Amino acid sequence: MAAPRTPSAKPSPGDPPALWDPVVRLTHWGIAVSVLVNAALDEGGSLLHVSLGWLVMALLLLRMVWGVLGPGEARFSAFPPNPLAALRHLRQLVSGRVRQYPSHNPAGAIMAYAFWACLAVVTVTGLVMTGGATPMQVADEKAAVASGDWSALIKESDGESSDEENSLRHTAEEVHEVVANLLLILAALHVAGVFVEARAMRRNLVAPMVLGQRRK
Amino acid sequence: MSASPDILSAGRRQTAALSVFLVVQTLGTVFFVGDVIGDLREDPTSMHFIFEAVVTAALVLGILFGTFALRRTIELLRAQDQALQVARGALSDVIDRQFQAWALTPAERDVGFLALKGLDVAEIAELRGAAQGTVRAQLTRIYSKAGVSGRAQFAAFFVEDLLGEGVPDSAPQAAQ
Repeated sequence: MAAPRTPSAKPSPGDPPALWDPVVRLTHWGIAVSVLVNAALDEGGSLLHVSLGWLVMALLLLRMVWGVLGPGEARFSAFPPNPLAALRHLRQLVSGRVRQYPSHNPAGAIMAYAFWACLAVVTVTGLVMTGGATPMQVADEKAAVASGDWSALIKESDGESSDEENSLRHTAEEVHEVVANLLLILAALHVAGVFVEARAMRRNLVAPMVLGQRRK
Repeated sequence: MSASPDILSAGRRQTAALSVFLVVQTLGTVFFVGDVIGDLREDPTSMHFIFEAVVTAALVLGILFGTFALRRTIELLRAQDQALQVARGALSDVIDRQFQAWALTPAERDVGFLALKGLDVAEIAELRGAAQGTVRAQLTRIYSKAGVSGRAQFAAFFVEDLLGEGVPDSAPQAAQ
């Protein structure tokens, strides 16, 4: 009857958020863009690559703090890692009947933890490869080398750095590359998962991560 | 639907700005921590290191407090939004019940709602695809069923309850 009233879309507490909070959104997109740029566009070891690596580390740390101190659906306790529940959810997805969860669904939660573990490994191995140099130090070194002072390079490769350290760096490099590729595979799976879930749940899952539904 | 989305979007802008600030702060702190760890490897007893370590600890604490404050702000905004939804629902329930009590027809209810929302006769007629004369006649019937003199009293019927009893006492004093 009362047509003129705005449809009061009352969110029940069991529904996923209509809009993720700004910290979740900022860390999500900041990490997504940084990972894609570092994987596809820039050169490993370049100033941009190292800077973005540090940015990812900062965003990851902030998200970890937010996972403890943040509001309800951003907290780890809202989506504990539970592989059994994840499998159950995937089975429901196949049969087309999915439950609504107040935060990430169990499969999405596993995906989030896998992302964070990979990101942590990639940043730590990256730090090992650069010897923990901050982007400022990398920039200084590059400027020194560019101006003809090669001592910065010699320091890295002279006899002082032991074989052990060299092999550690070598291992770190291998792990860095493998896990970085794994990250890209996870990202592809994540995008596919969002599409499948959105169809099964008949609900736009991208909007809450961008600006939410525009209210008229 | 006029004032509330503004409050909400202003709150959203505020929390978004706070979040951006928090990200920048975290970035700076991470660089600082990296620098301090570098110094730690060189000379952990120097004044320079101790000073930097204290500053960095303060930065980390700042982030934790900032995070906590932001969480509180977000939760407060949500609580306000929910209270507003509840109030809105309650008001429209009251209106619904009153319309039923007056035995308005479905068409009259629609017109009544639109009139309460502040639309004039021409706008209501256009929305409902009806002639202005029809709408005017419906409004007249609504007013007579409700026993009010016109639109102002009709709207006041629902606002009156929200105002409480403050008016009769304070109005004469204010007038003098």
